[in-house]
Amino acid sequence: MLLSESARVTTAQEARFRIQTPNSKPRAVKVIALDSEAARLVDEISKQPWNGAAFFKSLSFEQSGGDNVKAWLNDLAGHTSDLVGEIANADCVVVIAGAGEDAASVSVIAELCTQYHKTLVALVVPQGSYEQDTVDRSLKALRPYAKMLVIAHERDYIEAMLTALRA
Amino acid sequence: MLKKEQNELVTQTGPGTPMGELFRSYWMPILLSEELPENDCPPVRVKVLSERLIAFRDSEGKLGLIDEFCAHRGVSLWFGRNEECGLRCPYHGWKFDTSGQCVDVPSEPAESGYAKKVKLKAYPLLEKGGVLWTYMGPTESTPPEPEWEFATVPLNQSFTSKRLQDNNWLQAMEGGIDSSHVSFLHRGDLNNDPLFKGAAGNKYNLSDSKPVFEVVEAPGGLFIGARRNAEDGKFYWRITPWVMPCFTMVPPRGDHPIHGHFWVPMDDETCMAWSFDYHPTRPLSDNERQAMKDGKGIHVRYVPGTYRPLANKDNDYLIDREAQKAGRTYSGVEGIGMQDASLQESMGPICDRTKENLVGTDNGIIMARHRLMRAAKALADKGELPPGRTVEDMKVRSAAVILPPDQPYKDAAKEALIAKVGVKQTSV
Ligand code: FES
Ligand SMILES: [Fe+2]
Repeated sequence: MLLSESARVTTAQEARFRIQTPNSKPRAVKVIALDSEAARLVDEISKQPWNGAAFFKSLSFEQSGGDNVKAWLNDLAGHTSDLVGEIANADCVVVIAGAGEDAASVSVIAELCTQYHKTLVALVVPQGSYEQDTVDRSLKALRPYAKMLVIAHERDYIEAMLTALRA
Repeated sequence: MLKKEQNELVTQTGPGTPMGELFRSYWMPILLSEELPENDCPPVRVKVLSERLIAFRDSEGKLGLIDEFCAHRGVSLWFGRNEECGLRCPYHGWKFDTSGQCVDVPSEPAESGYAKKVKLKAYPLLEKGGVLWTYMGPTESTPPEPEWEFATVPLNQSFTSKRLQDNNWLQAMEGGIDSSHVSFLHRGDLNNDPLFKGAAGNKYNLSDSKPVFEVVEAPGGLFIGARRNAEDGKFYWRITPWVMPCFTMVPPRGDHPIHGHFWVPMDDETCMAWSFDYHPTRPLSDNERQAMKDGKGIHVRYVPGTYRPLANKDNDYLIDREAQKAGRTYSGVEGIGMQDASLQESMGPICDRTKENLVGTDNGIIMARHRLMRAAKALADKGELPPGRTVEDMKVRSAAVILPPDQPYKDAAKEALIAKVGVKQTSV
């Protein structure tokens, strides 16, 4: 019997002829810790080699004349950068809550993500002996904004996810 | 993406591989009861986790699952004579019972005890819910018997089928937890398939093709909630459970039977896609049962006399470009089951995950892989038995619910995700 095209091309042998040219460019993933627990995790993770992912340990606000508030991201080396600029240049924004404190600052980030049409992924990684209440508070803060909300009980999930996303 | 070594780890399930050992920690469905319909019926070949076996039901109804090849000179016992409580090799008459024990070597005097020295590898085989299940791991860590709801409801409330799929188990299973493809690939079927149409929830699937997801870990696996907009600012949630390593369920639609899958590796390039449908509280109607036999819903039509789908790669899945153009089907392939299978086979026998580009909404898949790799390593390195083996893990259900925006599904739908005897599914 003559093999159909679908049968012929789905053999292991044919898989060898798949084009090996990279099919995507590095993307800008911004990883932002929302509380001090998360900052500690982000600090550790950032030490591994990544494909250009940028890691931030906290967000701070500054009155900049009148009612205007400017938000700054603080990276791990002690530098600050403008939140608006970082989000505007992001391909994907990942916020991480250690569920230790509240994750209220996420609304500022989320609004910018909406404005600049960026996907917001939120990871809640409860640390140590956490209270379910605090986890629920973090979730509540994140739920309205995240396109994808993940509650992960293992901290190495953060690395796994960032690797999977080619961050 | 996965690194090459990771992809190998999760896709290889032969004996001695970490993922293979993980699979050998669970009861797996391998045959339908109808394949061994009566005592002394013909034996059936089985390939599972890269092991070639033969299954038979002996003269007393005992079930056996043993090495396919005769211990004498390697003939397939598929040709065996199933008679007088054993399977007799037709070449020189050696005979084996359901435990694999050789009970007769005609060339040797019975008194010599030669037969006692010969034993084929055997695995337990048990029947539940119209399905034959095996457990291929160490006896001392045998998990509780299968308690999945589809296998424990009365037989008139369930229908189970299986189809051969020519690709690695993982890419098939990943389709089962990938809720975002439904609004595309299966969109033509939501309003037409007799086992899907008419549910109030369907309109949300069709009107909102950009769901928002929430992934929650469960002790035995995951819940993946997909949220779409409903009326009055409320949310329509579809919640898909995954239980390690390869059980997935589809959220229900209206009062249609609920369905789900088992994705069982046969070898690294082939799997058996099991599809079950059941209703927790009522018998399936004749129409429903007929539709399932006719390959509607998640089931498929077969090449007569086989479990191979009628639309398969040898006939280009009977692709209909006209239907695709007209929007009757999204991919041109008919039937939900074959829409999935055709695309998964097209990825190649083992999907090369080093080349994929996952997005944030693929976190259900990312998490499932992560947990599989973690559990496989913990088993290999520390002998830690993997999650998903308890009765509670198995007593799980999918659900579809409409919830106010401030209610997390993991709390609001908690009860809906537990299978309870005599309690209807939660569905929209
Ligand atoms: S769009 Fe998902 S595999 Fe092509
Ligand atoms: Fe599908």
